[in-house]
Amino acid sequence: MGDSEFAYGSSLSVDSMKVIAESIGIASLGDDAAKELADDVTFRLKVIVQDSMKFMHHSKRQKLSITDIDNALKIKNIECQYGFIQPDSLPFRFASGGGRELHFIEEKEIDLSEILSAPPPKIPLDVSVRAHWLSVDGVQPTVPENPPPLSKEAQKLESVDPISKLSKPTNKDAAGKPMCGKAARLKASESVHVKQLATHELSVEQQLYYKEITEACVGSDEGRRAEALQSLACDPGLHEMLPRMCTFISEGVKVNVVQNNLALLIYLMRMVKALLDNQSLYLEKYLHELIPSVSTCIVSRQLCLRPEMDNHWALRDFAARLMAQICKTFNTSTNNLQTRVTRLFAKALQCPSQTNNETGVGPSMVTSMKESEKTPLASLYGAVQGLAELGPEVVKVFILPRVRWLGERVEGALSGLGGADRLAAGNLKHQLLKVLAPVVRQLRQPPDLPDDYKRDYGYLGPSLQQAVSKVRASPLAGGGGGAVAVVTCTPPLVPAAPSPSHSHAIISHAPKTVETVASRNVVISASPAPQSPAPSTPPPQKYVIVSQQKGPQTQPASGASHIMVHSSQPTIVRSQNVKSVVVTSGPAGGAAPPQKVVVVGVQPAHHQVPSSIPGQVSQAPVSVVAKPVFARGGGGPQPPPELDDLSHLA
Amino acid sequence: MGDKNTPLLAVLQLLRKYNLKGTEDILRKEASLGDVEYENLDLPEVELASILTAHHTESDPYSYEFAYDNLKKFIETSLDIYKHELSTLLYPVFVHMYLLLILYDHNEHAVNFLEKFGQEQEDYCQEDLKRLSIVKHKDQIKGNELAEIYSTNKFVVQLSRDASSQLKRFLHEQKSSTVIINIINNHIQVEVHDGPGRTQAQVRATTGGMLGEATRNENRTKVYYGLLKEPDIQVLPAPVEDEEEVEETPDKPKKKKAKKDNIFMKKPKSDPNAPPNDRIPLPELKETDKIEKGKALREASKRIQLGPDSLPSICFYTLLNSGHTAICTDICDDSTLLAVGFSNSNIKVWTLTPVKLRGMKSAEKLLDIDREAGDVLVRMMEEKDRDTCRTLYGHSGSVYKVAFDPFKTLLLSCSEDSTVRLWSLQCWTCLVVYRGHVWPVWDVRWSPHGHYFVSSGHDRTARLWATDHHQPLRIFSGHLSDVDCVQFHPNSNYVATGSSDRTVRLWDCLTGTQVRIMTGHKSTIFTLAFSVCGRWLASGGSGELIVFDISNGSPAAILPPLHTAPIHALAFSRDGTILSSGSLDCNIKLWDFTAITEEANGEEPGANPIQKEEKFLLRSFATKNSPIKGLHFTRRNLLLAVGSYEGSA
Repeated sequence: MGDSEFAYGSSLSVDSMKVIAESIGIASLGDDAAKELADDVTFRLKVIVQDSMKFMHHSKRQKLSITDIDNALKIKNIECQYGFIQPDSLPFRFASGGGRELHFIEEKEIDLSEILSAPPPKIPLDVSVRAHWLSVDGVQPTVPENPPPLSKEAQKLESVDPISKLSKPTNKDAAGKPMCGKAARLKASESVHVKQLATHELSVEQQLYYKEITEACVGSDEGRRAEALQSLACDPGLHEMLPRMCTFISEGVKVNVVQNNLALLIYLMRMVKALLDNQSLYLEKYLHELIPSVSTCIVSRQLCLRPEMDNHWALRDFAARLMAQICKTFNTSTNNLQTRVTRLFAKALQCPSQTNNETGVGPSMVTSMKESEKTPLASLYGAVQGLAELGPEVVKVFILPRVRWLGERVEGALSGLGGADRLAAGNLKHQLLKVLAPVVRQLRQPPDLPDDYKRDYGYLGPSLQQAVSKVRASPLAGGGGGAVAVVTCTPPLVPAAPSPSHSHAIISHAPKTVETVASRNVVISASPAPQSPAPSTPPPQKYVIVSQQKGPQTQPASGASHIMVHSSQPTIVRSQNVKSVVVTSGPAGGAAPPQKVVVVGVQPAHHQVPSSIPGQVSQAPVSVVAKPVFARGGGGPQPPPELDDLSHLA
Repeated sequence: MGDKNTPLLAVLQLLRKYNLKGTEDILRKEASLGDVEYENLDLPEVELASILTAHHTESDPYSYEFAYDNLKKFIETSLDIYKHELSTLLYPVFVHMYLLLILYDHNEHAVNFLEKFGQEQEDYCQEDLKRLSIVKHKDQIKGNELAEIYSTNKFVVQLSRDASSQLKRFLHEQKSSTVIINIINNHIQVEVHDGPGRTQAQVRATTGGMLGEATRNENRTKVYYGLLKEPDIQVLPAPVEDEEEVEETPDKPKKKKAKKDNIFMKKPKSDPNAPPNDRIPLPELKETDKIEKGKALREASKRIQLGPDSLPSICFYTLLNSGHTAICTDICDDSTLLAVGFSNSNIKVWTLTPVKLRGMKSAEKLLDIDREAGDVLVRMMEEKDRDTCRTLYGHSGSVYKVAFDPFKTLLLSCSEDSTVRLWSLQCWTCLVVYRGHVWPVWDVRWSPHGHYFVSSGHDRTARLWATDHHQPLRIFSGHLSDVDCVQFHPNSNYVATGSSDRTVRLWDCLTGTQVRIMTGHKSTIFTLAFSVCGRWLASGGSGELIVFDISNGSPAAILPPLHTAPIHALAFSRDGTILSSGSLDCNIKLWDFTAITEEANGEEPGANPIQKEEKFLLRSFATKNSPIKGLHFTRRNLLLAVGSYEGSA
């Protein structure tokens, strides 16, 4: 049928009339009769549909429903069509064949006895009324009951085309602040249009909110933290604060990696998770801050003060999962996010012989590659985990070829003396087996001979063979390689831990990390066991930043080599005289009056930070909530503005 | 009378129509038809045409296209000052050509004709054309609402004197083809107005009615749009309230009295446009009603002055778990009760304050009450009832509108079951079922003074009722299609109706006649609202919002179509400065009504109601997937909105 025909409505075809006639037992319907019928039925149907539109409008709907048709039939004195009750739109199915095309409603056969024996269906919820403020004095509050002030699509558009924000005439439609008073008049009288910068001014409420949220997220009160994270994950209208939130996270990670403050890193990662989960936010604009932070938490050489005791593995796993989520959400053909992240992890797994040949990555990368032989096992673990989360295909291409070399590393470390190294090697080995087994199972045919494996995969061969045969044996393995991420969670993190006491400490917390995968409300609490007092006991958490000074030459090796930082290095690393600044707010019990800034200098030689903390902590009351404040080198009184501008408000 | 005579009768009727007495007499004699048959001459137009078709041998289908093309060329080449007015001719001529083609059995040609020229018609005609296009056979004309309307009524086209003489000259030249002349003679009423030709915008502002524009004569009647003089109620209830108040704060009542006076001072004492107070008999106020009025006045003295710089706060009531079942809502005047009508025939009433919904005591218990007691009204209610929501059962079809009476004791509802029901909010039972409408009743509204109410429905009528009569007092008929909405004028003397024929009409309750017909809408009108001062009438359709001036019936302002879905709720702030509109597109928009009326007053009436830019729009508030079903300003100018949440999908 032509276009114009479409414009003025379609009509039933002669064929459909014939099909309908056949279905009621009239085998041979003449062409003329069918044509006549088709025209008439079309006319009648259209009249009924037109009338039913009236009922739709008066029911204040925009979607025609079956009751509308019934009502239209009723006013025409035609009996209703009984039995067509559909709560939603009609699920028409389409079928074609034999040159005929048909739309029909699928009618399933229902077993009556099944219905009779089934428990009665739930009673639908009764209608209830709920009140909220849509606008207060002309300003729409950003509460969950109201739509987000800037839709995700608009945020997306803005991240692609920032000019669009400026070109909008007024913000009348968006429910932000009203244009009133002077600003409006100025705008009206302005004859020359000066292109304005997009400002990110926060209202006082937003500043307070930011302060509260950031404090709660990194503070010691787990309940408040849960609330804060819940707010970050659910509240609409956070987009105006996003730049600051992201800076907070990225700066926080930079500092705390240097401080090896595991607990805070975990809290910051949970903030990232909450922001990612927020349906009303579009984070692409801030990935340049988030990705380095997250990848730092995956591959950093050291994330905690005592690697042999603290469960930094959980953080690496968690961050790796976040990274996978980011890649999945934001990967496009233009930003090539997944490729770049994959390359980043793959570089860490590069063995020295290969890296030496490569050039042109950038001076800093080259230097780190040269030391690749010394790439710490923890970083290797992180890289493996990060790649594993990206899917079995990535594992096959990037980890499997490295297995032999990784095996050598593991072997070396296991036979070595360092307790931490042995633990790391054990973890790495276990992780590798877990990640590789499903992939290898897909690659290789059943006869799994230990010798073949040894030949192909080196040191890890025999263990891998065992793991593969175990996977083959278990019925759950049907999921194949796709379920890697899920599978990782179930076994304990450290099966081959060298020291029983350590393994006990860590294993006992393994389930917790598992839980975090399931729901974001569960805490990743880094080992609250007495063996690792630093992050677990409440007082040290008050100190967001406990800085130690490091010798300048050790800096690049320990700090910078695997921290993925973007252009600006955290100033704190360069500083000679580092101080930890603690801002106390709330009722201070003893010496410190409320809202006093306590600056505690830490001696350069102090490596026993945890021991120095309790002494200071004793002065601070338990209710004190600390927030991170970053001290500049030389004890400058002005911390970075984007983080500190709120501390004055209290 | 035999079938044989029918064509003769048709010819007779035709002759009579054109007033050809002599020929008629001769024919009657020759055919020996008596006077009896003569009286029976009342064939419908359609039949007449179809009978005459048999004798119409010259109906050449190709001449239609040619004639229409000619007319189009003539209009296109005419001067700009005539062009826009003349172009309104095109659509009716087009429609009637199509119908004639169908009548003369040139079905194929008709379809081709529609396809060829249909797209060129104005965009607002397209909907009608789609409805018309389903008519593809002579027999179907009878069953089609639209085709019948076109063939039995005359389409009104307004032309300036010069333009009409241009048209006459053109028609004179077209002697060879009589098609257009016939159509214009039979189906189009050309209204000639003095004055210059109108611009495109002016023409567009008033066109759109199903049968074109309103004629000037129809809007000549004087309309008393002023407000009634308020009865001096503050004198009577004041002592009662003062007594209450004195105990709390002795100095307050004085202040309030002063303020009350202020309110009255504002209104001109003798508004020349106000109808006499006894023009429509209004019921005596009961003692309780006076107390209620007094309360309203006290509240009003506390209200916030709104304006572009002080926008109202909006409290949004979301109906949860209602899906598509919640249809209509109303909030009572003192904003304490919310009623919702559902598609499952139920009506639910919620209390919006901590005051519970109490029923009246049983008859035996009522006997025990001391009737002279001061608090008899409180005593007769059951103390045990602690409901926050009550359901009223009775209708047997979707409830399309619920309405609280001004004194909060009664509730009206109208439904698909073609009845209007009156409910008591004290007994929580149905009191009266008003039958009269034949088909579904779309809307029902109370008079601002109570007692009277008006309903409208699918049967193309609006009916005026009084609560104590089971039959309507007035039936307002004249709309060509469903009457979708009604509204009482604040002075209770007039009723406005909006219809699917895209006209808004104003009816006088006293005489039952139509006093205004207002065109300009391009789609069905779903809601109406009178301004507080009574002069302006805002009407909302599918996205369009027009403010009419009652004094002359012309559109005062056509607000930009910023709503993308039908507007189903309109409300004026109590001080008349802000108009709020709520739509199914989940948006509430606030318009600066002061600016709208200033603009309209500034210019000569009906002169330049061009589409205004967005300057009238103050703000827009989006809800979370909750289409707006009702808007209400409290006496203190807080805006209450009701919508039903339709899920996150």
